[in-house]
Amino acid sequence: MKIIKIVCALALLGSTVSGCKKALDTAPNNAITDAVSFATADRCLLVLNGVYDAAQSGFYAGSYSANRGYPFGSANIEQGDARGEDVVNLAAFYQITYQATYNPTTANNLNMWATLYALINRANVGIDGFSKASGGVLTPAVASQYVAECRFLRAMAHHEALINFARPYRDNNGQSLGVPWRDFPVTSGVAVDQVRTSPRMRVDSVYKKILADLDFAEANLPAATNVIRATKGAAIALKMRVKLHMGDWAGVIAEGAKLVPATVAPLTPTSVVSPIGAYALTASPDGPFASNTSAEAIFSIRNDALDNPGTNAALSRIYGSVTAGGRGLVAISPIIWNNAGWRCDDRRRTLLYQTGSNVNTTQSIFTNKYRDYTGWGDYAPQIRYAEVLLTLAEAEARNASGVSARAVDLLNVVRNRSMVTPATSQYTVASFATGVDLVKAILLERRIEFLAEGKRWGDIHRNAPDANYTTGGIPAKAVNGAAGLSIYNCGAGYTPGQAAIPYSDYRFIWPISSDEISQNPVVVQNPNY
Amino acid sequence: MHMRKFLCLSVVLTLLSLSSWAQRAITGRVTDDQNNPLANVTVMVKGTSVGTVTNDNGHYSLTVPAGGRVLVFSYTDRETKEVAIGSQSAVNASLTSTASSLESVVVVGYGVQQKKSFTGSASHIDTKQFSTLITSSVDKQLAGRATGVQVTNSGGLANTPARIRIRGINSINSNLDPLIVVDGVPVISGNLAGATNSNAIGDINPDDIESIDVLKDGSSTAIYGSRGANGVILITTKKGDKNGRARVAYDVTYGYSNVLKRFDLLNAQQFITIANEKFTNANLTPKAVADPAGVNTDWQKEVLVNNAPVQMHTLSVSGGNTKTSYYMSLNFSNTQGVVFSNKNRSYRARLNLDHEVNKFVRVGNYITLSRQEDYDQNNGSNSLGGAISASLRLLPNVSPYNAANPTGYNILYPTGGNSMGLGSNLQSIDDNWFNVAFTLHNNKAYSDKYRIIDNAYIEVSPIKGLKLRSQASADFLNDMSFTSWDPRHGDGGGSTNGLVDNYNGNRLRYVWQNYFNYNLSIAGAHNIFVTGGHEVQKTNVRFSEASGQNISDIFFVKENLITNSATIQSVGGNYSQEGFESLFGRLNYDYKNRYFIQGSIRRDGQSSLAPDKRYGVFPGASVGWRISEEKFWQNGLSKIVNEAKLKASYAKVGNPLTGFPYLSTYSSFPYGNIGGIAQNNVGNPDLQWETSKKYDIGAEISFLRSRFTLTFDWFKNDIDNLVLAVPTPPSAGVPNNSINQNIGSMENKGIEVAVNANIIQGKKFNWVLNANYSQVHNKITSLYSVGGTPVPYIVRGSYNILRVGDPIDIIYGYRYAGVNASNGNPVYINAAGKYVQQSIPSGNYNLIEGKNGTTVGASSPLAFSDKTNLGNPTPVWFGAVTNTFSYANLSLEVMFRYSGGNKIMNITRQEALFSQSFHNNGTEILGRWMSAGQETDIPRLYYGQSANINQTNNAISRFVEKGDYLRLQNVVLSYSLNNKTMERFSNGYIHSLRIFAQGQNLHVWTKYKGADPDNISSQGLDAAVSPQVRTISFGLNVGF
Repeated sequence: MKIIKIVCALALLGSTVSGCKKALDTAPNNAITDAVSFATADRCLLVLNGVYDAAQSGFYAGSYSANRGYPFGSANIEQGDARGEDVVNLAAFYQITYQATYNPTTANNLNMWATLYALINRANVGIDGFSKASGGVLTPAVASQYVAECRFLRAMAHHEALINFARPYRDNNGQSLGVPWRDFPVTSGVAVDQVRTSPRMRVDSVYKKILADLDFAEANLPAATNVIRATKGAAIALKMRVKLHMGDWAGVIAEGAKLVPATVAPLTPTSVVSPIGAYALTASPDGPFASNTSAEAIFSIRNDALDNPGTNAALSRIYGSVTAGGRGLVAISPIIWNNAGWRCDDRRRTLLYQTGSNVNTTQSIFTNKYRDYTGWGDYAPQIRYAEVLLTLAEAEARNASGVSARAVDLLNVVRNRSMVTPATSQYTVASFATGVDLVKAILLERRIEFLAEGKRWGDIHRNAPDANYTTGGIPAKAVNGAAGLSIYNCGAGYTPGQAAIPYSDYRFIWPISSDEISQNPVVVQNPNY
Repeated sequence: MHMRKFLCLSVVLTLLSLSSWAQRAITGRVTDDQNNPLANVTVMVKGTSVGTVTNDNGHYSLTVPAGGRVLVFSYTDRETKEVAIGSQSAVNASLTSTASSLESVVVVGYGVQQKKSFTGSASHIDTKQFSTLITSSVDKQLAGRATGVQVTNSGGLANTPARIRIRGINSINSNLDPLIVVDGVPVISGNLAGATNSNAIGDINPDDIESIDVLKDGSSTAIYGSRGANGVILITTKKGDKNGRARVAYDVTYGYSNVLKRFDLLNAQQFITIANEKFTNANLTPKAVADPAGVNTDWQKEVLVNNAPVQMHTLSVSGGNTKTSYYMSLNFSNTQGVVFSNKNRSYRARLNLDHEVNKFVRVGNYITLSRQEDYDQNNGSNSLGGAISASLRLLPNVSPYNAANPTGYNILYPTGGNSMGLGSNLQSIDDNWFNVAFTLHNNKAYSDKYRIIDNAYIEVSPIKGLKLRSQASADFLNDMSFTSWDPRHGDGGGSTNGLVDNYNGNRLRYVWQNYFNYNLSIAGAHNIFVTGGHEVQKTNVRFSEASGQNISDIFFVKENLITNSATIQSVGGNYSQEGFESLFGRLNYDYKNRYFIQGSIRRDGQSSLAPDKRYGVFPGASVGWRISEEKFWQNGLSKIVNEAKLKASYAKVGNPLTGFPYLSTYSSFPYGNIGGIAQNNVGNPDLQWETSKKYDIGAEISFLRSRFTLTFDWFKNDIDNLVLAVPTPPSAGVPNNSINQNIGSMENKGIEVAVNANIIQGKKFNWVLNANYSQVHNKITSLYSVGGTPVPYIVRGSYNILRVGDPIDIIYGYRYAGVNASNGNPVYINAAGKYVQQSIPSGNYNLIEGKNGTTVGASSPLAFSDKTNLGNPTPVWFGAVTNTFSYANLSLEVMFRYSGGNKIMNITRQEALFSQSFHNNGTEILGRWMSAGQETDIPRLYYGQSANINQTNNAISRFVEKGDYLRLQNVVLSYSLNNKTMERFSNGYIHSLRIFAQGQNLHVWTKYKGADPDNISSQGLDAAVSPQVRTISFGLNVGF
């Protein structure tokens, strides 16, 4: 009897023990393992889109869910403006950037650094995967196009890093300390160790690699327009920008010849059409902002109502007045608004700027370039045709011995569309006593045309070592929070209250993230941080 | 009387002298210590197999064979008693409950053990100590109850779980919470809801809990193997007594809560002075203007409520007969938080049923049904709509209300943007902080949770001493959360134009345990207790979420997401699974209750590790010696020290991982609305368990027949293989800038002392003192290396770092020297020990000679290398002292709790109370520097320069304060009506009655300047936390 009881009991126990191994047999349901992430052509395309996503919304403060538009979804634009003098910071968001009080742990610098390299690594992972898939799940043509798109983004990210964290190319001809160049996928601890052996390269070496990427991109990208993807036109246009930073005027002109006809008709700006991609200026200066995909847009980063930099970074939130539906955090500065070189009847003043209340419910002038006040889905414009034209104009002007007629024409193409009576107000060769005056006019036109598009810092940075065009460093600015319509007076000039910071000051370039310094001994900090 | 005793004695002696024992009948009655009959008590004649059980009235009759001299009375959960028969024909016995007995048992993993033979370290918490206290869940009442158990209730919200750390912080990145086991089954715990704070342990009605045992050392937690690192809390719920009598109890408590301490904020007049000084110093026009109507708003009044009502009701029925016992209860509790939109409502029911089918088989089922409704609000410390953070900043000269506005609130609706009205000021509040009166009344954060925990078992006893048990449990938690933001103002205002979010999540955990317990006693000297078995656990977690923005009409934001009412719609969701599979065994052996040895081993498999790294083996062992059982002791010494036990233990336990950190994976990263995937984790296939080697040496000593008891433990916990998200250089571009690795080690060392003293044991007056003290020192002993060089530190957010040789997460920042009396600028001390002054408007740092130096020297920016250790954020010592006085039926319990040795980084002061924006401030700012020569620690005011003046996002010694405190935790005054009196008054209908009045969290003595030294995060940060709550309540317990 007792035996039977024991047997029964053991049987009960035994039957339950078996068949439970399944408890451990489980795998992620929300993520695809690396073994199969490039397994089909469709998945390869998903990976490529994921690289663009890194350009649009890198992680902020360690979280992917906090989309703050790093690096190119909005942050490069907002930071690029806040580092310059043509906007006024009204709230705490960009105050540190605006006042240059950053240190190696400041969130903006830290996140810009981290998300640029996160984009670079996603691009490198993509390049590796697409190359391996070439001839298999991807045709060689598609594979090289995908690789070219990744290399375009890789180049753009490294260039942005140079602009923020290194001295300009034209300081000591690129021999200053640049940024690390990354061109292999980091998907394991071993690869991380490899990262720890590659220090910051010299500025000129990084530029060389950027150009190699862009040459490859140009050769392998489709010519057809696609605003939110890299294209042949975008690669050429970015190369123009990069060469402009290098002071390679002939190089800019050579690239420009691919996108700009040899002769232009300044009085009919829309008639200037790019042979590649058919890019052209829109008739009205607000055309590129009325639509995310105008003929003028060469490359933009996509945002939309479902995936955007959010209330703390979306372009319309930051730049839009409270009255219009934004938060009124960054206003136009009286420094540019009151600049005598910006005609009071310029159509841009009314089409792209408006008064409205700011974050403090007083009044300021704001841009309305970014207009999706409900969905916050404005694309982040990175390259538009106006930049190609003005970049080429500047190179032609600088490359010529006197006053370049072609440069004047190209400047007029952009400026004339904003003039009420272009025929009488347009520039002529006689308007400029010297080529330097012409270049100055082009640089001012860039400030006006690209106001609130984040291009200001790039120009300050590249021209800082140039005696003719330098701002001397970080220019003087309106004091933080300066507001009230009384400060805005067309043509009256403005005396900034926030002192300039000389080019020689350590704050001209950003500190390298403290995380980088502590994790990667071969990367050295910028001086004095 | 004496005569009768004498006669009896004579008879006995006479009988003894006859000394011829024959078979005879004995009868008797067995009762509990309150003279209630006990049914089903086993009565055995010692040394024989003759025995019987008592009937429903507690009576038994037995024929004792010749030679039978002693009767043994035994009954589950009660002390076994041996009574000499002598010459009596009637032998009565009274069995005291083990819970109140010194000879009590300890609940251990997969069984119970005699306390005297337990050689691990555990604290038994008698829930009677806090059974009447107002609490929404039991975890909040554990503070101060046990040595080594540090409990922090950060803030006064009604629905946040307490933070429990057993013997220190035992991990850096992995789980820190103890394993919580209810009636043998690990249950889902934590802060779980989608839209509100919510406490999963709140589903267990505190009134249903019989006892709590906290397993602390390695040898007692080793049976839980990979989940033992953070200690184990074993909760045992009430069962019915098999004494045949149904007991009905009704417990009710009503009370009121108030804020223990509010922030001292500027009034309207003071605010205008300070705000305008900020502007004037910055060469700006003053913008604060007194309201002609004399508006002086106390924004804390708009957020906090006075006399927040709290009530708890439990009705329970328990009882049983010889075969079946049951306990069932119904509970309702309603806790209004002090933030008026914060509330917890719980509805809980339980049925515990045990049935003995026959001597061979026993079955039972314990079921818990619970519904918890949580109401919450935006609690963000930096959110523009954060209840507390906004109340600190909103302008006191602006009214919350405006009768002229269609909403009745002072907001710029319908035109003027998503801002507050200006009042008489020339601008509205900076950064657009929301009118919190509006948002708290019109936004909603609600979570409705349903929980079923069912726990069924079958137990088979094939031979004496052996029990085989199969126990299956399902723990199901469903959460339906709803968030609604009003489109007119606040978080949902402006272009968001209203937001609704529905979240539906559910968790299901199965646990199936099959194990045996075997008790064997050989020749009364060798006692063996063996446990062994198998356990599987699987947890599935899933949720789906849908939300809409830009709602067509405010009508559609009220109660739920409504189809087609939102023009911007988004959905989300997830599904994950996790499993454990384990084999475990334990052997206890003792020789004559004198020498003890115990060994246990567990082999755990976990799904979060790579298949070839999945299993870990966790052994533990302990020894004990009851010196007081030795012969030499019992000659005299035992009269003073009646019990002395020494013990030592060692074990290796683990801490499990979550998710799939070993895999490299790609998850969804859309580009706008274009689908995309990208690496979200770089996996490490070599990842293993975190291991804790736990050492413990302890002593338990009782004096004067256990009138005084002292327990002492020394412990050390060596934690190795810490799973660190080892930072990768950001320029590697790895997701999250880290790869998980088993690297780094840490130790916790400390002592625990507990004293229990029956200081006065009178006939009517009693005084019991209960005190405990714990000390835990944490130290990081190694971290990872970069290129062969150990990293000097790991940055943990803005205020803390990890550094070898220091405790975890030390507060790391700049040393503040004070204010330069000549110009009002803040002055710091850099790494070289030099004074560095920061110019307020420019932010430039320059060397100065002396704190009050007037000559500005070379530029010398403060760098990370100028930061230094500003203190340990974790309390080092803590404990409690409880005095219980009773006089006849009146009882008074007073509990003090203390804690300290830690530093707090007071971010609330740094960011809100000293803000330099157009915000309100704390009254402390009135002491700011105003004129040359003035000595103060508060720099000159300057509009817009918070970052320069207060070093926002950096720790500085100016805002780092001591966290030491003494807290008057509870005072409970109760009066029990004598049972007999009660029964007489009520014709026997009412069995017992107790009435009480109590105060909880009555006062804190501390030098900490913040709202409360308990309002800290695990990293010692205080950032605009909801204030602590003081509760006064009254109640009664009626037994029928």
